[in-house]
Amino acid sequence: MPLLEINDVSVSFGDTEVLSGITLELESKQLLAVLGASGAGKSTLMRLIAGFDSVGAGSIVLDGETLSDTSKTVAPEKRSIGIVPQDSALFPHLNVGQNIGFGLSALSKEAKAERVRELLRLIRMEEFASRMPQELSGGQVQRVALARALAPKPKLVLLDEPFSALDAELRGQLREEVRQVLRAEGATAVLVTHDQEEALSLADRVAVLREGKIIQVGSPSEIYNSPADVGIATFLGESVLVDGKVSGGKILTDLGSLSALNNVAEGATGVVAIRSENFYLQPNPTGDSEVVGRVFFGHDALVEVQTPKLRIRARSNGPFAPEVGMRVTVWVRGAVNFYPSS
Amino acid sequence: MKRPPIAAVALGLLAALASLIPIGYLLLRLFEGFEAALAELARARTLELLLNTIGLTVSVSLTALAIGAVQAWLTVRTNLPLAPVFAVLATLPLAIPSYVLALGYLSVFPSFSGFWAAWFTLSLATSPYVFLALSAALISSNFAAEEVARSLGKNRWQVIQSVTWPQVRPAAFASVLLVALYTLSEFGAIAILRFDTFTRAIYNAYRGSFDRTSAAALALVLVALTLVVIYFERRYRGDRWQAPTAAGRKRRIDLGRARILAAFGLGIIGLFGAGVPLVSLIGWSVNQTGFDLLRLGELVASSLAVAIAAGVVIGIFALAISVWNLRYSSRLSGAVDLTAWAAHALPAVVVALALVYFGANLVPGIYQSIWLLLLGYLILFLPNALGLVGTPIALVPRSIEEVARSQGLSKNAALTKVVLPIALPGILAGVALASLTVLKELPATLLLRPNELDTLATELWQATEVLAYSQAAPYALALIIIAGVPALALNAQARKLISEVS
Repeated sequence: MPLLEINDVSVSFGDTEVLSGITLELESKQLLAVLGASGAGKSTLMRLIAGFDSVGAGSIVLDGETLSDTSKTVAPEKRSIGIVPQDSALFPHLNVGQNIGFGLSALSKEAKAERVRELLRLIRMEEFASRMPQELSGGQVQRVALARALAPKPKLVLLDEPFSALDAELRGQLREEVRQVLRAEGATAVLVTHDQEEALSLADRVAVLREGKIIQVGSPSEIYNSPADVGIATFLGESVLVDGKVSGGKILTDLGSLSALNNVAEGATGVVAIRSENFYLQPNPTGDSEVVGRVFFGHDALVEVQTPKLRIRARSNGPFAPEVGMRVTVWVRGAVNFYPSS
Repeated sequence: MKRPPIAAVALGLLAALASLIPIGYLLLRLFEGFEAALAELARARTLELLLNTIGLTVSVSLTALAIGAVQAWLTVRTNLPLAPVFAVLATLPLAIPSYVLALGYLSVFPSFSGFWAAWFTLSLATSPYVFLALSAALISSNFAAEEVARSLGKNRWQVIQSVTWPQVRPAAFASVLLVALYTLSEFGAIAILRFDTFTRAIYNAYRGSFDRTSAAALALVLVALTLVVIYFERRYRGDRWQAPTAAGRKRRIDLGRARILAAFGLGIIGLFGAGVPLVSLIGWSVNQTGFDLLRLGELVASSLAVAIAAGVVIGIFALAISVWNLRYSSRLSGAVDLTAWAAHALPAVVVALALVYFGANLVPGIYQSIWLLLLGYLILFLPNALGLVGTPIALVPRSIEEVARSQGLSKNAALTKVVLPIALPGILAGVALASLTVLKELPATLLLRPNELDTLATELWQATEVLAYSQAAPYALALIIIAGVPALALNAQARKLISEVS
């Protein structure tokens, strides 16, 4: 039985429906990432799970207990759900140790101190117990906020864009730490984020939320390799969209005849989405395409190529990226996803 | 380091010397008439005054805290209907001088006097200070922290105790200190409501019997009480911390059906704090028989003239000290700035008493002249004006001044051509606020004014002395219109709050 069940949940604020028909399940000790652009309803979903808002329809069940449905909303303090808000929201008047111990009032003094020490060890901040929040760096603040949420051993932890305030390097590092801490605690977590890299690298399952609806749920590789629609395909990474028509089991496009990953109906028209890393640029002095731009990133480069009919952006390994002005032949590696036009 | 303008130094030193007069007088009295003072203090009457003063100060402080805290929490943090309207209503008593508030009630209920009347009036008059401080603190406190506390197992009431209150406690203590100091030094309302505290006793000792020894002894006790209040505030305020950026949407707490009840309660407080007195004053003013409009015009003119003159004097000195201390700061400028604050929190009655002595004994030329009155205003209101005039100057970025210097302007030229013009609107607002405060001032005006000078405040006072409350109503109304309302409109804190609530 899944630990968390969200059954057909909808909610409206005034006349606007913010979430509609949300159904999600999460197994114990797994991490679910809810991925969506800002305004998709991510924060609302979090607040519904945490119990700060009531559902308009449907139900939320945690560990067999119904927390929210149309007739009741269990108070946030009675849910055993920890939260790590976006700005971390450490209590400014309490030191690190007191922040982590805040939710442990049920424990004896010794047990509380021991649990706080344990978590400080886990986030590798043992020597910071008596520091005040304003004396910490951004990454430390987020680690303390995570430890505080985990301290009372909640059934579920909600992470609301926990890395968005940090710079890119720190973000990657902290992501790995958070994963380890959650695993060490055996925690079940829901992470909301607009950062696809974060969702794909951290989560066991990813749910894509758009305009208040769940568009697709799956493992990170399923979501990345088989996006349910063109919108998700472009949202999850740089993709080139090319018109195509199905003929003889192949898709005929301006980039040649391509094979489809999904089932296609003969004669259908639509678009294919090709990831920028799936292009291969073969240097060829007599090739029909020309490199017209290049953005170099070090580990790789984004190369803009003018083909006879299209302009595409291809990701190319750094040292071998062709220079501007070179002529190339464009190949598409592997099969592509075809989306028939409706 | 460039030398500061000589005029700024001269004016600054002069203001610092002036600010030392009240302290000097008190010390002189302490050494010269120590035994007489001791004898005065040993009287049973002094004990009674002490109990009255402490009782009133404590009860008003606690009541104002309760009123202001409830108003702030409801308007800032809950889904109270018409929250901006109630925010305006909560600040409205700022526009009504406390003695005018007292008069408003007294003119309807002639037996409105004594402890309860003073407690009622001053609690309503001072609650806006708590309201403004606590609302600002609540707005900048971290809302998300409260939700985290809920998720960690605390219920609503526990969250208020363990998360909300600790975050606003410094603001609450600071504002309660302000209320306590206000009550300790309050003269007009207490005298009109015939409740004996130190300020009224000092005034009567001096005015009634010209008993300067007794007045000075009482003044010493009052100043000692003031120092005690300041000490306690420092001691128990708790650490100040900077609230981390309060990000996220600010969701209001749903009160459910209680919101109507809450609105009703705030409406009642607003009715008592502004509605009833305003209606009664308007009623008396309209029904005035044989009312001398010309006399009112004269009083408005003379009040404005004195207030504007005082505002200009205070503004010049405040500007000199601010420019000196902010742009050419040195140890001396810092000392001058600090000295100007020395008279801060000294009751106006005490300052006036010191100046009477100073004028009568040391500089007879200015005794009972407008100059002594202006000196009194300067000492009383310079500390406030330093903040009002200094802040806009301090807010001009250093980089702007540096750009001006790099364009070939000298330090002084950069100051007069760039820094001051940018700060000018703020400086003028500060000067205007100082003038409006002078308009409402009562005890120092009564003690220091030249005999031929009548103002709205003194005329109102004289009418209440002969119990002609209804006659005083038009003067009271005029004071609210020309002093109170503009002062509230210029109150930056109130304006900021109302724009944030709505």
